[in-house]
Amino acid sequence: MHLNRTWSTEVKNIAGTNAYGVLASPRGPRNEAIVISASWLSRTGEGDGTLNLRGVSTVLALARFLKNYSLWAKDLVFVVSDGYLDGMHAWLNVYHGAQLSSRYWLAGKKSTSDRTSTDLKAEPLELTSGVIWTALSIDYPGHSFSHLGLFFEGLNGRLPNQDLMNCVQRISRGTGGVPVTVYDHLEWQDPATSPSELSFLPSPLRHYPGVQDFAHRAKIIARHIGYQARGRASGVHGLYHKFRIDAITVFAIPATGPHGFHALGRIVESSLRTMNNLLERLHASFFFFIITAPDRFMKIGSYLPSAILISVAMMFRGLQCWVDARWHTDQPRSEKRDYSTWFSTKSRPVVPALAAMLLTHLLGAILFFASRSSWFLGDQKLYAPTFALAILTVPFALSQIPHPRDEITAPFWLVLKAFNLCFASTVISTITILNFSLAALLAVTLGFPLTLSGPSDSKLLSRLKCLFYVFLASAWLFLHQETREAIWNWEILSVWFAPFVCLIYTPLVLQAAIVCVLPCS
Amino acid sequence: MRLALGWFLLSTLFVSGYALSSETFSESLKITPLPDGRVSTTFSFNTVLEGASPRDPCSLTSQDASQHYILFPLTLGQILREYAVTELHLSLNAGSWNYERWGYPEEKGVGTGAELWAWMGVDESKSVDDRWKGLRNALAGLFCASLGSLDEQRTTSPDRVFFPQGRLPKWSGNVAHQLRHASLPSEHVCTENLTPFLKLLPCKSLSGIASLLNPHRVFDADWHGMGVHVLWLGEAGVQVRLTFQSVMDPLRSSRNFLRNWSLQSLFGHSIERNCPAASSSAIHVTFSSTENPTLTPQPQTRSSTEVRYDVLNVEKPLDIAMQWRDEFKYPSIFKSSLPISVTRNLRGFTQASGKLSLILKNHRSTPQQLIYLETMPWFIQFYLHTLHARIEGHIRDDIISDISYNAAVAHSRPTTFQAVLRLPPNSVTHLTMDLDKAFLRYTEHPPDAQRGWDLPPAVLIPLNFDPNDNNSSHILNESRLGEPIYTSTLLVDVATPDFSMPYNVIIFTCSLVAFIFGSVFNLLTRKFVVLHLDPNRQNN
Repeated sequence: MHLNRTWSTEVKNIAGTNAYGVLASPRGPRNEAIVISASWLSRTGEGDGTLNLRGVSTVLALARFLKNYSLWAKDLVFVVSDGYLDGMHAWLNVYHGAQLSSRYWLAGKKSTSDRTSTDLKAEPLELTSGVIWTALSIDYPGHSFSHLGLFFEGLNGRLPNQDLMNCVQRISRGTGGVPVTVYDHLEWQDPATSPSELSFLPSPLRHYPGVQDFAHRAKIIARHIGYQARGRASGVHGLYHKFRIDAITVFAIPATGPHGFHALGRIVESSLRTMNNLLERLHASFFFFIITAPDRFMKIGSYLPSAILISVAMMFRGLQCWVDARWHTDQPRSEKRDYSTWFSTKSRPVVPALAAMLLTHLLGAILFFASRSSWFLGDQKLYAPTFALAILTVPFALSQIPHPRDEITAPFWLVLKAFNLCFASTVISTITILNFSLAALLAVTLGFPLTLSGPSDSKLLSRLKCLFYVFLASAWLFLHQETREAIWNWEILSVWFAPFVCLIYTPLVLQAAIVCVLPCS
Repeated sequence: MRLALGWFLLSTLFVSGYALSSETFSESLKITPLPDGRVSTTFSFNTVLEGASPRDPCSLTSQDASQHYILFPLTLGQILREYAVTELHLSLNAGSWNYERWGYPEEKGVGTGAELWAWMGVDESKSVDDRWKGLRNALAGLFCASLGSLDEQRTTSPDRVFFPQGRLPKWSGNVAHQLRHASLPSEHVCTENLTPFLKLLPCKSLSGIASLLNPHRVFDADWHGMGVHVLWLGEAGVQVRLTFQSVMDPLRSSRNFLRNWSLQSLFGHSIERNCPAASSSAIHVTFSSTENPTLTPQPQTRSSTEVRYDVLNVEKPLDIAMQWRDEFKYPSIFKSSLPISVTRNLRGFTQASGKLSLILKNHRSTPQQLIYLETMPWFIQFYLHTLHARIEGHIRDDIISDISYNAAVAHSRPTTFQAVLRLPPNSVTHLTMDLDKAFLRYTEHPPDAQRGWDLPPAVLIPLNFDPNDNNSSHILNESRLGEPIYTSTLLVDVATPDFSMPYNVIIFTCSLVAFIFGSVFNLLTRKFVVLHLDPNRQNN
């Protein structure tokens, strides 16, 4: 029961040892399990090296205490994982026997520098248990705490079932008597302080409760979008969601009091009993929510339409371009109402437009593989402008290709724009269900620019517009730290944000840039 | 006068019934402290119907002789006669037996959930499958268990693993016997199964050893299971053995980390009186010879590792207690008494496919042969070509031989997979096989669809080493079979629709229909009359 097995993993040449134990449930068939875990490093500063000492000791103390009860219907698995995310990532993958894809292997083989060595090796687990339905990650870095903060965003924008969060929150308030907050935002609890973000407002407005309330909620949503859109996990719990495990992190916000071990122990024990009573997986449709306050959330019906409406509008605009490209309107010459003379049809250059799109996506793929390479990460300051310049040449090169300028062929840019808008709209509406924050962000960054793209009469203006779009497409290259983290997340944790930006976002904006420099006629 | 006549008739019936076949009943309890501080208890209640023999299936069409039993459970006897069952084994267990810590169990059938297997003679008039169906439904009624759902989707016939434990009669016409086996891992075993079980005992739970079976305590154990075994012993007659095993943890409630136990602390009862029907009643307590716990009261017979109490001839109330002087020290390494240990897992987390993985360890310094039996419901479809054995990372498919595989038939027949494995000395073997999870019709999902499906345990039977045998394709015979090892059950996620939406629709529709029906019915059946009030009367 307390057999701790050690094993090691190498992530970016990090070797670590996880310790874990399985408390077999009495009379249980041993095919269901709950995980209580604490990572060695706390999530303070996204794993900046603060030790999660009390979180680990809480797990150990609980293991001893929970053993004295015969009520457990599911196995309890206690895990102390090494590092911040890497230890638990390796443990979960080995537990589920997830095949480490050839991508890891290739990356590990190819790389020469230490930094990108992502060869993941892990010893098999000696002790096993059943299917994990729910998990709780405990993070308690301080010596006591004032509030419990809930972190819930998982990799690739996945969210746990909201019922789990609601349970822990109710239990924390009722049983434990500990106030709960979202993330580690504490301003919420103190109406006297006004958020610094509001300093631009005049004083009476700044201290108006409604405005403050709005600012607090906006801050929570902004942080949520920051995690979800980039596919980042806000804590160790985020690694579980991939395996269909509902998990959250309970973060004891460091303070000088008044709560400590006892309160946390009671809350965790009570939450575990709640999870223990589950007869089925949490499966009602509470997987879509935006938390705005500790006890308030927005349901899918109230936020989903915002992104969908923009994407529908883009689709309509794209279809309009498509129709406009087909029909040419002439002014009626005679009084006779002969419509056939008003409208004449043109042939639309579909194949060249599709070829241009394909070219940009291919370019995106090349960009993706190039930015993953060790030489790019080794000298980003040199390669980022080079790549941006390379991208810049594409629209201008395409504009130099002679296009037929006659009455019977539709303008090339209009057809390309139609396809561009329709494709962008499809992408946004698909992403809304997978990762709403990303879809909302795309709706903002793609919605207006893509709709407004088009050549101007003045050549200079067209080129300036093109430059702007190329900048929009390649600006991320200059965010060195961000790029590096996104690529690490893709290599190790399979977060598809980096490939998405390279393969979908950049080509889409690049298509708009091409639309701008193409001849107007 | 009438009363006297009644008594007379009753007594003649009793005497004549007794004269037909004599019956003996004996009970025993075995208590063993386990290396991890737990205590294993095994109750065994034996009733032998002397000189009796199982019913010949050829006689099923004719009227059966009337049955008179004194000690033999009548309800069970009737079922056995009705369906001409030669041998029957039913076990209902809760929990997963930990072979590493607890060694072999006293009673072999410890697979999680319900397991039923029977040997029946073949006859044209009533097919074995029809009788099997009747048998499991009758037992379901008798033991309040969902054995009725052990339908053809779960029934297999793995006759290389389950051999008859008693003897099979040789009837005229050379009647062959067939095996039917089914297991239901999701069966939850509790009080409702124990009550009918106790009713089969001659003294119920009123006296004797059976009075210790207190549901409040035995269902708080770390593991518990009950079994019903019917065998034909040849000339000796038909034996019914009712067993109850449990593994209890005295350390759980112990404040000073002493693993002391007594009958009172384990079962909440002591034995107050004898069961008058019992011909023998014994309690065996075993302990390892290195430890020296004190036992009260003083046992009648004692050896270095076992003591025996004859309950019939001991002072009542009897409360056996075992006490240790030293605190219990948790052993750092468990030395397994089994030749092999096995862990079975389902890898992969998608709802479409997965991988079955077995890790087999041979603890002995000699090669070990074993039979591996896997029965799966039809929606788990194996890819046999992906079956691989790996030892230290090298593929060693040569250790797998004698594969017999009955592929599943969708929506009807389960998979049966049997093979002989030959494990090298002191080795760890990884056995893997890919599988697909089929897409179920929505009516086939259980009520708790989001829980997933429990898959039955695999059974591994070590074969006793035969120095003359170097060829693994040697015909398996019963004498070489060791004790079976049941793996834990598995839980599998199959693609499941969200049943909550139809559920809501049903609820809404039902309420709507109820409201409309109620109102319409009310309107139709109520009589509406116009009442004329006499204005003159009102004035009065």
